[in-house]
Amino acid sequence: MYLLRLALASLNNRRFTALLTVFAIALSVCLLLAVERVRSETRASFASTISGTDLIVGARSGSVNLLLYSVFRIGNATNNIRWDSYQQLAGHPQVKWAIPLSLGDSHRGYRVLGTSPAYFQHYRFGRQQPLQLAEGRAFADDPFEVVLGAEVAQSLGYRLDERIVLAHGVAKVSLVQHDDKPFRVVGILRRTGTPVDRTLHINLAGMEALHVDWRGGVPARGAGRVSAEQARALDLQPQQITAVLLGLNSRIATFALQREINQYRGEPLLAVLPGVALQELWSLMGTAEQALFVVSLFVVLTGLIGMLTAILTSLNERRREMAILRSVGARPWHIAGLLVIEAFALALAGAALGLTLLYVGIAVAQAPLQQLYGLYLPFGWPSGYEWRLLGAILLAAVLMGAVPAWRAYRQSLADGLSIRV
Amino acid sequence: MSRLLLALLLILPAAFAGEARLLQWSELIPEGAPPPPPPTPLHDLSQLADALAAETGPAARQQSPAAPVVEALDGIVARLPGYIVPLEMDGEGRVIEFLLVPYFGACIHVPPPPSNQIVHATSELGVRVDQLYQPYWIEGPLTVEPTSSELAEAGYRMVAQTIELYELD
Repeated sequence: MYLLRLALASLNNRRFTALLTVFAIALSVCLLLAVERVRSETRASFASTISGTDLIVGARSGSVNLLLYSVFRIGNATNNIRWDSYQQLAGHPQVKWAIPLSLGDSHRGYRVLGTSPAYFQHYRFGRQQPLQLAEGRAFADDPFEVVLGAEVAQSLGYRLDERIVLAHGVAKVSLVQHDDKPFRVVGILRRTGTPVDRTLHINLAGMEALHVDWRGGVPARGAGRVSAEQARALDLQPQQITAVLLGLNSRIATFALQREINQYRGEPLLAVLPGVALQELWSLMGTAEQALFVVSLFVVLTGLIGMLTAILTSLNERRREMAILRSVGARPWHIAGLLVIEAFALALAGAALGLTLLYVGIAVAQAPLQQLYGLYLPFGWPSGYEWRLLGAILLAAVLMGAVPAWRAYRQSLADGLSIRV
Repeated sequence: MSRLLLALLLILPAAFAGEARLLQWSELIPEGAPPPPPPTPLHDLSQLADALAAETGPAARQQSPAAPVVEALDGIVARLPGYIVPLEMDGEGRVIEFLLVPYFGACIHVPPPPSNQIVHATSELGVRVDQLYQPYWIEGPLTVEPTSSELAEAGYRMVAQTIELYELD
């Protein structure tokens, strides 16, 4: 106990260097934990975004690409698929349900998804959890109704019955607005922690109505314009959609149907198993993750070596201190213990400060991360893996502390009270 | 001196350019311009595929969607090697529902495996699949569904109790 007190008192005497060392270790620990946290939370949030869907069907591109644009709303579709392809799929004997998805418009940086009521009925996230409405209802037959994701409603401050204008394209600031056809908010979904929160859901007919009077890539002018009222009276049967989510009667039939869709003769289609595509995505990201992890490990190592340097350089100055301790009865191993404890205390303080920094960082970055990247970083206790990392850092610090301890041990054996420096 | 230069820099462009005219994108199109011709139907080329349909055979189908199964295997505890095709994952990315198949990846050359070559497995604990081309042993009670019914489809199903890596020896 008195050894610990002595070590802390000695550190207190050199508090400026000690603080700097602690801070260096804290920063490196914080970096390592942050990399690990972001990695595991990205995986978790990706894995919990889609559940219960057997196949995702879209225009032929790549499996990861299709998964990203249809489910995560990252990137853009390469092409649309024909409505009659969708009808063929929906009518297939093996298909239990089909959700059409139509993308491409936005509202103040949030994507607009054209879909059918089947979406609210069959879409599942997490562990087979259905979507639930926090307020209002799902959209009905009227094309100009919109159901908001929780995040959209919260950050833009929308309430039920509000009228909003959707924009063409997917940029945050769009200069071409569909301002002649406002939508009425009829429902707000409960928070899911998935990209659904950042989406505005409208009817396929609404998506069609938005673009009904566009000609050759520009909105119609003058007499060509179709007002919202006129649009309601038109036939708003969509001609094309972006992707389809399929649920099958039998999961064993997944491969067979996937094969059939990939060889569909009507148009080039691509069907992917969401689980397989996710796995492919992760093995793509895996290399980058590993690299980041290795880099942050080296940063931790640098922090620890900084600590080692600080202790070692202090050793010479402290020879008199050690000699006095010896003269009042400290044994050589006491001196060695003192230095190991010192190293451990520095690393422990560094780890604690690093954890604090991590949580402060999460508190600060939580909202912007969710808004910009849809990544939700929860405040959880450190996971088992993170505790193990921290333990390994402390162990490494103690091992490093053994180096100056050994030197001090040798010196304190050789030095008398009068030191020849 | 520098202040004077700055002032000059600020004044000069305004003096030369005057007030900028605010434009709308629609003003770039002349007033009386004829409307662009109606768009040609999308995916018109895809009709080509229909035209050629008569010449090609139908898409490869699963040879026997409800292939016969060995009913005697029902209820036994089985151990089977295979590749895991993930279907469902839990919050930590562990695969809790998957299809076990005898081969992986080369499926595009031949029709997909018949339904009696696929085991639909669930696992309470889940397994972290890092590489899709890594084979695993799975062990657990096997149930055999001889015919499709309202409740379940024909085929093999297993509750995987242990999942371990398949090591080459």
